[in-house]
Formats: sequence, structure tokens, C-alpha cells
Amino acid sequence: MIGTSRTTNHPATILGNSGALLYVLFIGLPVIALLIRTAQQSDFLVAVTGDIALTALKLSLVTSVISMAVVVLLGAPFAYLLARSESLWARTVDSLVELPLILPPVVAGVAMLMAFGRNGLIGSGLESIGLTIPFTTTAVVFAQIFVASPLFIRSAKLGFQSVATDYEDVAQTLGISPWRTFFRITLPLASPAMVTGLGLAWARALSEFGATMMFAGSLTGETQTMPLAIIATMESNIDSALALSVILLAGSILVLVLLGTFTRRKWQGR
Amino acid sequence: MITERTPQMAASGWVQCKVGDFQFETDWEIQPGKVLVLFGPSGAGKSSTLRAIAGLLHPVAGHVEIGGRIVFDAANNIWVPTHERRLGYLTQQYHLFPHLTVASNIAFGIKNIDCDATKERVSDLSDLFQLSGLGERYPWELSGGQQQRVALARALAPKPAMLLLDEPFASLDTELGRNLRREIRAMLVRSPVPVMLVTHDREEALALGDAVQVMHEGRALVTGNPLEVLGQPGQGRVARLVGVENLFDLSVQERNPHDGTMTCAGLGLQLEVPLDSHISSGPSPKGERTRVTIGIRASDIILSKEDLVGSSARNRIPGQVISIESRPPGYAITLDCGQSLRCNITGASLEEMRIQPGQRLWAVFKASSCFLVDAE
Repeated sequence: MIGTSRTTNHPATILGNSGALLYVLFIGLPVIALLIRTAQQSDFLVAVTGDIALTALKLSLVTSVISMAVVVLLGAPFAYLLARSESLWARTVDSLVELPLILPPVVAGVAMLMAFGRNGLIGSGLESIGLTIPFTTTAVVFAQIFVASPLFIRSAKLGFQSVATDYEDVAQTLGISPWRTFFRITLPLASPAMVTGLGLAWARALSEFGATMMFAGSLTGETQTMPLAIIATMESNIDSALALSVILLAGSILVLVLLGTFTRRKWQGR
Repeated sequence: MITERTPQMAASGWVQCKVGDFQFETDWEIQPGKVLVLFGPSGAGKSSTLRAIAGLLHPVAGHVEIGGRIVFDAANNIWVPTHERRLGYLTQQYHLFPHLTVASNIAFGIKNIDCDATKERVSDLSDLFQLSGLGERYPWELSGGQQQRVALARALAPKPAMLLLDEPFASLDTELGRNLRREIRAMLVRSPVPVMLVTHDREEALALGDAVQVMHEGRALVTGNPLEVLGQPGQGRVARLVGVENLFDLSVQERNPHDGTMTCAGLGLQLEVPLDSHISSGPSPKGERTRVTIGIRASDIILSKEDLVGSSARNRIPGQVISIESRPPGYAITLDCGQSLRCNITGASLEEMRIQPGQRLWAVFKASSCFLVDAE
């Protein structure tokens, strides 16, 4: 009985519940306002299929898919190294992985300009062999990888760390080579964490704005992703801006739901 | 029925390893179908020995042969990776793959997972280890005993040339552990592989071991018949490690060579024990000893309410009951006979004799139940 009275009457519980209510209103009101305002507008479908919106939507999807492919293909083995290696090199890189998470995206954009820009550290060299990165679709992908990759790498690293090396040892005593052990044991066991990381990274890449603005600009069809298109159309064509916002909102909710279902594997938590 | 057609070979070798500051060294030779028990406290290097044989740990020096093949030889630079050593390795926590069903776990080490021969082998092993009908379950849906059986079946499925068992019964209750021991014995008759088993449980070592090696702080102290090594260990350190309940430092009073016994005494206790020359090989270099350490197992002592006059037992010692402790499956009675003497009896005896603290009893045991323990 002590337990129940404590949870219902305890001052912290009352404060906590009030806080929770305020929080729900604080987050919920804008979301609902966005939905209501969008519903009021003449035609959602027309706005979505409008030139600017559709082009931005396509560009966002294409660039984020490419970014995620690069992040997973290079990030997964990298995360495995971070999870298993004790070397000074690995530990140094490990702390560096956190940097893009803390760095303001705009600064990331400026920094990338300084490196890959026309007069940048290696940009001028690339330019002379005919490779231009800034203010191209490639720059959008660069910006997304820069800001979103740590989310995947961190999560994948934790996933690999959660796989006891004993599983790998046992698999090898059963005659399975280290390489095949990785694909048959380590990867499947780490996959829930990797899917979580991928979801978070994807959401981050789709919402990328600051670094893209700086490093890639806002050229329709080439570098104007959805967040940039929202800014660009907010004044001239608020219908498009609202439609794009709702799509991004829906995408975010979808990621949340997928994370909830995909990552809850049956062998976990038992 | 599972019968291996390929004749099995002995497993043998020695390794010297260094893990951080810890060093250990051991050697072994195990015939097919026989079990060598590595016995000792934790930290003695037992599990690391298994890992070294499996190639999961790199020895500094050594030579390891499995299934008639040299898989490690430091001098000749031979190193066969773990997955080519043909081993069955059972860890303490089994480490069943949580994302695979029981059937997939068992079939994991078999090449050509989808062929009929594989399915047959999995179903044979499931029958052997009483796992039929559980093939589609996941590891967390199994009891501890079932998990252990799956782990054993999985280890045996690729027909290993040697089996390494690391405290396989440690996390099971006693009764279940006993049943599984019987199953392992039966399995060894059908498919005779050399087995190395690590344990710190004396009962387990006695039940499963064909030979036992006592390890302590990275060294093999003694190797031999489990009954001799664990029953009447001749070395002081081994006696303490295997838990000999009664150890007395006594002085030799009189030697009776025609009986093969001698009389020893100390602190009010007088014992008749085997003559020391019968135990040690030849007379000790320092001449005859005057002080000896005598060990007696608690289970070798008979308790009686009266002096058993007219019995053949050479030692009949009166004493007072100090304590009665429950030591499943029986009871440990401590008698004050000048020095305290521990005896193990069954619950039935305790009730029949109505033993109470303070009661006067006679401890009766043969001279041959006493054994000499070398001082260190």
C-alpha cells in the first residue's frame, strides 16, 4: 500500500505529471496547428505535386538514400573496429566521432567549404582535375554524411559491443571462419541497434539544413532539399511549405514507429 | 543411433601461456572416449587451457595435437586457426545463438545446412539429447537443462575430434547435473571422442573423470586416477585444494613394520596409520621422519554409540559431538577427540542414532583410511 500512495500522492509525482502535461501541450500544439492549417488550405495534393515541392521531395529522397548507403557500408565495419579494438588509434577516432553531433551544422558547412570549396584546402586541387563539389548534389550528400553518420556509428558500435565475443568464439570452434561468423552471428545480433542508428541517421539527414545551406546552397533540383525548399517557399507559396512540412512530419513519425517495431527483437530483454 | 564410423584418435599436447601477468603451463594426453578433468579453484588456469587448445588464446610455447593432426607447434611455427581445429567447445553459459531456433543452433556447424543428411543428423542428435519436438523453439524458451543439451548437441553435430567442456554443469541444479553426466557418459560410448572437462566440483570430477589433473596457480600439481587424487591426495597443497576434511600434524610414536602400520599422536589424538615407507617411494632422504601430516576423509569415518570392541578397525576414538551441520545430501558431525574430527553421515543415521550436541560417540575407521600427506 505504501507503494501506491507514494506513486499517487508524492509531490514529485504531481510535479512530474504536470510537467508531462505541459510537455505534451508544448510539443502537441504546434504539430496540431500545422495539421489544421494544412487541412484548411485549398488542395494538399496540388501543393505536394507542385513543381518546387515535388523536386525537393525527390532530391531529399535520392540524396538521403545515397548518404545512408555510404554511411552503412563504411560505417558498419568502422563501428565494429571501434567496438572491438582497444588500440589508441581506435579510441582517438572514437572520441572524434562525437564531434559532428556537437558542432553547429552551419560551422560544419563553413568547415567543408574551407576544405572542398573552390579555394579550399583540397578543393582547388580537385577543381584542377575537373571535380567540383560545393554547390552540387554531391555537396548535399557530403553535408548529410557529415552530420548524420555519428548517429549510425555510435548506435552500431553499441550494437557490436553487446554481442559477447564468446558467441563468435563458439561459432569458430564449430568450424565457421571468422568472416562467415561475422555475417552469421555478429551482424544479425547487432542488427537491432544498427537499424535504430540507421533510423536516427536518416531522420537527421532528411532534416539537414545548416550545413547544406552553407556548403551546397539552395538551387532548385540540384541542392534544394525539403527543409531548404520550405524556407524558400514560406514567403511566396506557403501552401508548398506547409505540404512539405507535413511530409517531413509524417516521415519523422514513421521513423519513430519503425524504430519501435523493428528493433524490438524477440531475443532481447529476456 | 549415432555411431561414429571414423576411428577417433587421442588428443595430446602441452602449452605454456601468458595472459597479462598470469602464466600457466599444462600437458595432457587423452584417449578417445576418455575424460580428463582439470580440477582446481578459479583462477588456476583451467578455462584458459581450454581456450589455448581451441586456439582462442595464443600460447607462448607448446605443441597441440587434435585428431592426429598437429594444430599448434611453437617450435615449427604451426598454427591452425580455431575454425579448422575440429573441436567441440561448451562454455559455462552455453552461448546458444539467440537469433536461431534449436534446430538451427544444432545444425550451425554442419556444412550444407539444407541437405537431407544434415536434417537426419539434427534429428538423431535431438533424439539422443531428448530434444525432439523443440526444434522450432528459441533458446530463451528452454529450461537450463534443455539449453545445456542443445549446446552439447550443437558441439557434437560437426563430429569434433575433441570435446572441451568448461564447467558444463555449474549453472544447473544438482539433480539435473547428475542426469546430464549420465547422458554424457552414454554419449561417449557411442561416439568416443577425447574429452577435457574443467570443474571445481569434486563430485563431478569423480563421476566423469577417467583421470584428473589438479591445477593451482597456473601449474598442474598432480595427474592421476580421480579416486586416488581426490580421495587420498598425497600432497599437502592438493589435499587442501580437493577439500580433505581432516588433516592432522602428528608425531610418529612407533613403527610396526610387520603390520605395515605406525602409531602417531598429537594433542590427545592417537592414530594408527599406514607405515610411511609404503606410501612414499623409498626411504626419505632425510632419514625417517618424526612428524607427519595425516589426512582422513570425513566419509571414511563410522560413528558408533559404543566402542566397537572386537572389530577389525584399528582406530576407535571416543569424542564429544561439538556440532551438527547440514551438508546435503547428508550431515557433517564434528567430534572433539582432542582435536576436532569431521565425519559425514546420512540423514537416516542421524535420526536413528539421535545424535545431539554434547553426546559421546566413537569414531571408527581403518588404518588404511588414513593417508600420509607430504608437507610442502
